[in-house]
Amino acid sequence: MNEELDSQLSAMFDDELAPEQCELLARRLSRDEQLKARWGRYAVIGAAIRSERGVRLNAPLAGRVSAVLLAEPALVTTPGARPTAVRWWQPLAGAAVAAGVAVGCVLWLRAQNPLAGAPLSAHLTAATVSVPSAPVVPAAAESYVVPRTPAVRAMVPSTELANYVVAHSVYSSPVARRNLLSAFMTSESGTAAEEPPDEPAVHAQ
Amino acid sequence: MSADASDLSLVRRVQRGDKGAFDALVLKYQHKLVKLVMRYVRNPAEAEDIAQEAFIKAYRALPQFRGDSAFYTWLYRIAINTAKNAVVSRDRSPIEYDLDRSNEESYDMQGRMKDSETPEGLVLTEEIRSTVNAAIDALPEDLRTAIVLRELEGLSYEEIAAAMACPVGTVRSRIFRAREAIDRRLREVFEGGLGRAEELG
Repeated sequence: MNEELDSQLSAMFDDELAPEQCELLARRLSRDEQLKARWGRYAVIGAAIRSERGVRLNAPLAGRVSAVLLAEPALVTTPGARPTAVRWWQPLAGAAVAAGVAVGCVLWLRAQNPLAGAPLSAHLTAATVSVPSAPVVPAAAESYVVPRTPAVRAMVPSTELANYVVAHSVYSSPVARRNLLSAFMTSESGTAAEEPPDEPAVHAQ
Repeated sequence: MSADASDLSLVRRVQRGDKGAFDALVLKYQHKLVKLVMRYVRNPAEAEDIAQEAFIKAYRALPQFRGDSAFYTWLYRIAINTAKNAVVSRDRSPIEYDLDRSNEESYDMQGRMKDSETPEGLVLTEEIRSTVNAAIDALPEDLRTAIVLRELEGLSYEEIAAAMACPVGTVRSRIFRAREAIDRRLREVFEGGLGRAEELG
């Protein structure tokens, strides 16, 4: 028997052999009965040194297991047992989902507040046109109390304020203008809410 | 040096359909597994049966073993579960060997008396043990220290090298030479009759 091979076998038994050498020796060990017998005796030596109580050192356990496995089919590793590789499209799919959610959120917010995204001129035009007498119910309204007639007035900024905004628009940023308009509309809504309704309210669905 | 590379290389071969590689794993771990199972059952023959069942279960489950943990850790877990199930199915409670040094001898005798099924096995085990011990006693001091630190204390080659103040390569060589010297004596015992005794056992 080659001494270097036996030396490697001893080191492999102790998990002290380089992985690439283990691969080669494992191949040989699985086929060479003489080498396997030596490997088995190394295990017996270890068990004898440790004086493992009650353990039969000559037990034919390996032979019995081998006999049972003789009838078993050889294993074939299933694909599921392999380490899962990160597929190239997985990061892109994640980004696409995130973008889809973001677009959905924007569309939903616009649907909830259609004037928020409109340009300032639209607000101003709405402020100067005559107020229709029929109740205006926003298309996106789901469930809230809508006064029949004059409450719509609260949604439209007064001409005075609109003129004020136009006069100062040169000196303010678009964001500031929008904030100002929103603040005014809120205060107008609050005023309107304090007024008693002219007619009984109805629930819009 | 990666720990468990040896077992992993054998496991990978088994997973590719090489049953012979599994024999090597059984040979390596059979004594440790029987010792582990004997914490749950007293009878060595029963412990061997349970260990055999554990090995077969492990073989069948090997396609699912991915190497996330060490093979022996995974194998021990299977053995413990198999032993617990065996104990439950036979309506026994686990036996904990919580013996102090004073009654160790009496336990030893009890254990031997219960192993009435395989008296030859006990005699031959004792013969192997005494042969190994005699071979160790006959070793030069440096070889004896190296093999004892490895097998009894479970130290790595690097730790043994530090303890013995020598290179790792020297440790590897000393352990190999110690094993070879013991194996020569052991082979004589096996060839002198233990082969037949194994068949009887």
